[in-house]
Amino acid sequence: MALHHRLAVLCAAAAFLPLGARAADTIKIGFPIPLSGPTAVYGKPLLQGAQMAVAEINAKGGVLGKKLEILSRDSKANADEAVRLSRELIIKDNVDFLVGTLTSAEAPAVSTVAKENKIVFIAPTSKSTILTDAQHIHPYIFRVSSNTDVEGDAGATEMAKFKDVKTVVTIGPDYAYGRDSIAAFIKALKQKAPNMQVVDSQWPKLGEPDFTAFINAMLSKNPDAVYCSLFAGDFVTFTKEATPLGLFKKIKNQLVDPAEVGTTDEAQALGADYPYGIVADAYDPVVWGGGNEPAEHKKFVEDLKAFTHDKYASGWSIVAYESIYALAEGIKKAGSTKSDAVSKALEGLTFDTPVGKRSFSVKSHETFSPEYWGTMSKDPNYPFAIIKDPELLPTDFKPS
Amino acid sequence: MAASFLFGQFMGGLTTAMFLFLIASGLSLVFGIMRVINFAHGSFYMLGAYLAWQAVQWVHPTGAGFWIAALFSAATVGLLGAVVERLFFRSLYGREELYQLLFTYALVLILGDAAKFIWGVDQLSVSTPPVLAGSVQLFGSTQPLYSLFIIVLGPIIAFLGWLGINKTGVGRLVRAAQMDREMLDALGANVGTIYTGMFVFASCLAGLSGALITPIQSIVPGMDVLIIVQAFIVVVIGGMGSFWGTFWGSVIYGQVLSFGILIFPGFSLFSVFALMAVILIVRPWGLFGRPL
Repeated sequence: MALHHRLAVLCAAAAFLPLGARAADTIKIGFPIPLSGPTAVYGKPLLQGAQMAVAEINAKGGVLGKKLEILSRDSKANADEAVRLSRELIIKDNVDFLVGTLTSAEAPAVSTVAKENKIVFIAPTSKSTILTDAQHIHPYIFRVSSNTDVEGDAGATEMAKFKDVKTVVTIGPDYAYGRDSIAAFIKALKQKAPNMQVVDSQWPKLGEPDFTAFINAMLSKNPDAVYCSLFAGDFVTFTKEATPLGLFKKIKNQLVDPAEVGTTDEAQALGADYPYGIVADAYDPVVWGGGNEPAEHKKFVEDLKAFTHDKYASGWSIVAYESIYALAEGIKKAGSTKSDAVSKALEGLTFDTPVGKRSFSVKSHETFSPEYWGTMSKDPNYPFAIIKDPELLPTDFKPS
Repeated sequence: MAASFLFGQFMGGLTTAMFLFLIASGLSLVFGIMRVINFAHGSFYMLGAYLAWQAVQWVHPTGAGFWIAALFSAATVGLLGAVVERLFFRSLYGREELYQLLFTYALVLILGDAAKFIWGVDQLSVSTPPVLAGSVQLFGSTQPLYSLFIIVLGPIIAFLGWLGINKTGVGRLVRAAQMDREMLDALGANVGTIYTGMFVFASCLAGLSGALITPIQSIVPGMDVLIIVQAFIVVVIGGMGSFWGTFWGSVIYGQVLSFGILIFPGFSLFSVFALMAVILIVRPWGLFGRPL
């Protein structure tokens, strides 16, 4: 049995001990997140961000006098597994709320479970618009992350800054997020840079080990710039294969990637092979390559480094951290741990984060969170690429 | 469509093919001779990749560092293969396929967790050895030197393998073991040692392919499962147990993938799976295989 499964069994056994009193004392948060497989590299820091938030809140006495407790489970980035685990967390473990999932495959699936069981579910990272669109919105789903429309807007803004670009090719993973991301970019680009034409779109599968054929196809279209929604291991593989094929040289590094490849996690993974000069984003640049770092953020990063014993903090922990704090605010405002009350309290709620205030919109329960964008540059203080002069984009997004 | 573009796609397909051949050949070999379907073959490949990364951390990426790492991976995974074969596979030969499947699947889970335990869940990367880091212009398309290296290495290994099986004394024993294990045993040959030797050779190949893939792919948990599916498709197309079948199966897979994305741009997966489905319907034992 996997180590964390064994630990989960032990915890479940331990939970049976002082039965009655214990159940009422803590607020249980179910946290399905990929802890194995290619996306675990982001799942792990997300869980750590949530755990740090819980530790901080509990140190101050908890919420409504009760301590928060995270029950994490390995979703393996698989929608069916995430659904199964969520049901188990609700029915067997009696969680009060759900926070978590990583991908836009898992989150909409868990959202239906949340709706069935009337449990508030906060998704920290899923960007696909399907999560909160008119057909799928319900009182219990909330989204802390950005969504693909916001991301496409910012991506198009960055693309429009490039000089002498007439033709653009796109490449994105062939699933909900990738499709939405590219579509949103193309739509936004028409308005921000009508002289730029998207001449080709490539659709490798998520987890594609060999991008060579796709890269060759892109090169054959003679692009001036590339918009790329690949992330995590896919972006690492893509870069390692695209560099010797001359893609970055051809487009003079005019590549924009909105899928958080500007995080310290991704930069460290690629090390010296990182394609310096591309434009990327992160929810949290961690390393502020320029001025304007919010004071709360400095403290957040120091605390995170101490909590995780990592030399360089992850750019992913912040969204899970924000999700837990948002939930805590909702519970406080509602004065109750019942999901119906908390759901009403969360609608329109404004909460603090280390990088500014965010609010859940009343209509679609999302924050339309902007992200930090910039050119990935070398820095003598760090052995990996950092975002130079991180800029919060978009500044003027209006949901349609 | 420019000729240089088509040539580029063709070469890309060959590179994919040769990588797949290196790993699928071990799978096919083990099945052909020992009638064992080894799901854990992909895990050996993954361990080869992780071990290569680890070796590069220790030796420090000097010019020779990468090659030392590759040999280290091959040797260590080969050793692991020997241990696994001696301790566990011995009791599986001749048993129902279900037991073999269950055991090798269990091995996949164990090795996957072991890798996660040792190296964590972060994606790791190894740089291309400097001598192969550049590219050349061939017929108007840019060819990375590393891809050319792999394209040349594949057929060399194929040829050496063919030589070994068909022209050496050991090879004759291996072919005899494939044809009739009991008779060979009765004739006094040490079938057990032959089996172990074959398994070690296949594991070395898996470890080596894992090490060689690291300059062009990220090392992530889950790469074991990804590769074993591809290796199976190749072996199904080419024919289980047939050496040249695996070679040509890989070439076909590589080209179908390369050009499939031109015909079905939205369905990169579709073309290869469709091919496998067609083969299974028309000629289930593969192009070069023999009916089981």
